[in-house]
Amino acid sequence: MGWYLLRRLGAAVIVVLIASVVVFLGVRALPGDPAVVLAGENPTPQVIASIREQYGLDKPLPVQYFDYLKHLVTGDLGQSTQDKLPVSQILANRIPVTLELAVLAMLVAIVVGVLFGTIAAARRGKFSDYTATGFGLLGLSVPHFWLGLLAILLFAVKLRWLPASGYVPFSENPAQNLERMILPAVVLGTGFAAVLMRQTRSAMLGALSADYVRTARSKGLSGPRVVGVHALRNSLTTVVTVLGLQLGGLISGAVVTEQIFVIPGFGKLTVDAVLTRNYPVIEAVVLVTVVGYIVVNLLVDVAYAALNPRIRLAGATNG
Amino acid sequence: MADVLTTPAPAAVAVAGRSDRWRRMWRRFYRKPMSLTGLILVVLFLLLALLGPALFGDPTAVHFDDVLGAPSGAHLLGTDDLGRDQLARIASGARVSLEAGVLSTALAMVVGIPIGLVAGFYRRYLDSVVMRAVDVVLSFPFLVFAVGLAAILGPSLRNVVFALGVSQIPAIVRITRGEVLSVREQDFVAGAIADGANDATILFRYVLPNAANALIVQATVAIPAAIIGEATLSFLGLGVQPPTPSWGVMLTTAQQFLSQAPWLAVWPGVMIAVTTLGFNLLGDGLRDVIDPRSAR
Amino acid sequence: MRTRRLMAALAVVPLLLTAAACSGTETSVGKQLTGTAPFDARPVRDGGTLTVALSQDPDALDPTTANTFVAREVFASMCEKLYDVDENLKIVPQLAAALPKLSDHDRTATIALRQGLKFNDGTTMDAQAVRTTLMRDLTLPTSSRKSELGAVTSVEVVDDHTVRLHLSRPFAPLAAQLADRAGMIMSPAALRKYGKNFGAHPQCVGPFSFVSRTSGSQIVLKKSPYYYDKAKVKLDELVYKIVTDANVRSANLQSGDIQVAERLATSDVGTLSADKSLKILPGGGISYQGITINTSNVHGTDKKPGTVHTPLAQHPELREAFALSLDRDVINRVVFNGLYDPDCSPLPKGSPYRDPKATCPKRDLAKARQLVERSGVKTPIPVTLSLTADPVSERLGQVIQAMAKEAGFAVKVVPGEFVTTLNQAREGKFDTIQVGWSGRVDPDGDINDLATSGGSNNYSGMHDPVIDNGVHAAAATTDIAQRRALYSKVIAREHELNGIIYLYHERYFLGTAANVAGIRYYSDGIPRFETAGFAK
Repeated sequence: MGWYLLRRLGAAVIVVLIASVVVFLGVRALPGDPAVVLAGENPTPQVIASIREQYGLDKPLPVQYFDYLKHLVTGDLGQSTQDKLPVSQILANRIPVTLELAVLAMLVAIVVGVLFGTIAAARRGKFSDYTATGFGLLGLSVPHFWLGLLAILLFAVKLRWLPASGYVPFSENPAQNLERMILPAVVLGTGFAAVLMRQTRSAMLGALSADYVRTARSKGLSGPRVVGVHALRNSLTTVVTVLGLQLGGLISGAVVTEQIFVIPGFGKLTVDAVLTRNYPVIEAVVLVTVVGYIVVNLLVDVAYAALNPRIRLAGATNG
Repeated sequence: MADVLTTPAPAAVAVAGRSDRWRRMWRRFYRKPMSLTGLILVVLFLLLALLGPALFGDPTAVHFDDVLGAPSGAHLLGTDDLGRDQLARIASGARVSLEAGVLSTALAMVVGIPIGLVAGFYRRYLDSVVMRAVDVVLSFPFLVFAVGLAAILGPSLRNVVFALGVSQIPAIVRITRGEVLSVREQDFVAGAIADGANDATILFRYVLPNAANALIVQATVAIPAAIIGEATLSFLGLGVQPPTPSWGVMLTTAQQFLSQAPWLAVWPGVMIAVTTLGFNLLGDGLRDVIDPRSAR
Repeated sequence: MRTRRLMAALAVVPLLLTAAACSGTETSVGKQLTGTAPFDARPVRDGGTLTVALSQDPDALDPTTANTFVAREVFASMCEKLYDVDENLKIVPQLAAALPKLSDHDRTATIALRQGLKFNDGTTMDAQAVRTTLMRDLTLPTSSRKSELGAVTSVEVVDDHTVRLHLSRPFAPLAAQLADRAGMIMSPAALRKYGKNFGAHPQCVGPFSFVSRTSGSQIVLKKSPYYYDKAKVKLDELVYKIVTDANVRSANLQSGDIQVAERLATSDVGTLSADKSLKILPGGGISYQGITINTSNVHGTDKKPGTVHTPLAQHPELREAFALSLDRDVINRVVFNGLYDPDCSPLPKGSPYRDPKATCPKRDLAKARQLVERSGVKTPIPVTLSLTADPVSERLGQVIQAMAKEAGFAVKVVPGEFVTTLNQAREGKFDTIQVGWSGRVDPDGDINDLATSGGSNNYSGMHDPVIDNGVHAAAATTDIAQRRALYSKVIAREHELNGIIYLYHERYFLGTAANVAGIRYYSDGIPRFETAGFAK
């Protein structure tokens, strides 16, 4: 296991380095740069040149990249070009917001998705299967942005049950925080619940037809017990994998959700940074995402191995 | 990294009795009302996409004196903010959705399957390199990629297809690779290797057909996801160029006039949902048919 | 979602059409909402927190470098200026005690300051502070104020409450510039302490003082204990929230989450003004939007003009035909619910510098077709129209596309991401582009640099002696009649060249909860909250 983790760490460092080069060159391939944005209505050549100088953009690319790495190693992520706040402070403000949103959305997705998926598989071909499958398909079929808007119109504007948007930090007021997070979490979670429901149903059907379950049934174990214990446990592998795979989608989804509900999270920060050519923030954001992805995947694999000891070998040789 | 969906591989594809098998599969498929509904919805969608623009008139003809008109005899679904016939735009929008859904999935398959096959089959260094690359792509937030691409190349349907296609490649690679990894260990593949069959034969004759099930399921998820993806990107202003109608663009418009012209919001949303539903139902039906395990 | 709107909104400047506006049906709405809002003088109670939704995220809150319109809005509450404008856009003293006294053939401006004023960090505002501020504006390399203060060569402290500015030439827009960011006096103590990071800890003279900023989310201000006129400030706290989507701003206003929302969508104005729990204050009108035609910008606005090989650049009569094919009133009705001011001048309606007799040519399709025919260019004539990807700009683009088609132009609408489009504009990589200008109090700021040779915002690449000489002569005199005559000639010449086809002035609509009073909202579009509060 130690050797395995070491290998994984090595691979992670490589991925982070590749990603940092890709994003470093990628942002510079975008038309315009921070100076064009910051000079605004006064784009005189002198102003643009001095802004470029301020952010070191006048230096050759390799020098810029080396400087960036040097600062990175010392933990310095630079300063946002847009509002001049330290990038680390911005990240510290934004990440917890999106984490909360993501965790809540995942909870919604897991509860709804796994529950309905299991019911659908266990009662295959029955009314409840069709209902659950129908809802699952509907969840997949309705666009996020649409759902969010309808939710705001219905619950906030028409019924006035919940606030339309805005964010209150959990530490400041937990009740208000949760009140404002319900709609976004449900909207963001719906799509994932649908994916999870389908995959869970699919995996459960596979598992239910597997020999050991048939054996269990033939031994006279009751239906719910077979489903609950044997098949579900096996299908969790699938669920964990899907969660890992959906992380990227979750962040993209969070961007859309954060936009609709005006939540100052990581997703919104990401897109804003690209649109304002905020190089330091874009670079930091991608770095955090990549590291986050690696960590989550490691956790997924560990969970995987814990759920199904046979897999560990394959993961170890191919990780 | 994680091996994806390591379902145990079924026995090797039977070579004999091919036509029999197709007939059996079709029978199994069409006995299910859900699958059949899916098929009908998809066929209707295809017909609309192919014939719609010819049948329902010019989707770009503006009438500034008849903007935001309610549904009427002349305009069955009403008119939009520039007085264009909403029905004509819905019909034309179908073609955009079709192109986005099918082309991007095809792109992902064409690129992803060979990579997954090779990575899973040869393993070792090649596999490591591929999986690291996949990790980099997967770990990149998709919208950043899409927004960046639109910034560099300008918003257009072609770029939407490209962005959606690329974003689907990692899933295809991982699924293919996962299938290969598990199929490789099966006796019949080991047997073929022992018999001295060459790599191409093994890959295309034994490995790929066994990966097909998972890939078909993935395709039926990917096509509707790409249709929604196109709608979302168009909604965000990263999609088709005006005045080309796209369901996503139509929803953007509708959203601004929810209180004055709520009918505008209904049909593009319904069309996206119904089309996606059709593909999903069809996919479920196919899965049941192709994969004997779930059919029982 | 709404990254589309967001793209535009990020806008450093409202340069390419950003504003949140949409269109709709009710033209009757327009009638009640012309002009600027009357002041709501109901007495307000002490205390309370007012939450205001801004349409964009401001850049750094440093008056020397800031360029966004929304930053100006925040500054209005915490960074007062030497001068301000009143409801008629007349310049009035704010931190200064009187208008500048000109002497030495208009090459020296002496400014008397109000006495006993304190910055929000408790230090005293005096002539030395004014000098420190202005010198920073003139010398900081990243200063965006340097070009605005162009003619100022040095600043002299006469005594504690008098400064004297020395000018290289007579400079009529001086007072107007000092009524904007260049006139915001910063605390020298804070400047010493924070230097380049002043924007993260701004300290000026103002009714409210800076408390905190959460990037991309909100800016919190509180009532200042040091403000010279603090008796009139009733609110305890003022919170600016960033809500880039106009629909969301409307929804939040209706749900009561926020009490004030700026720049409502024109499509929402009708519905919102019918809501008894809300009020709509109209404002704005000094900005303009139009179509810039690339006539000779080949390598960028900072490079020498060259030859552009498009039919529109080659044939002035085609540009005229293009302009004549557009119907400004229909554009206003279809795209903006009839709420904007259709116009063919960069100067706002009601400006004393406008020629009162000048009228805009109506749409004339017959003449447009004739001009097209006379040019000998084969129809349909290809025209690429670049614009920012947001729903309103795209709607405008499609209306223009449909109108110009009838005169024989095949317009291709190309929406682009905001910075990309801005970059194309500056580098001359466009045929025609839909852009605008946020507008200035002094007419010089609406034409100079935008239509003059070598101007950094002259995307068309115009280089015409009539325009150049007229603009420079007008900046050198303070006589209104003389300036009016000069600008009228310049604008008439612009109409002949059609480097910019002016289309309309944007109006802004400020939505507030019905119980909020005391807000001042003028045609500069900046809501002022120093006397605002909740009605008793």
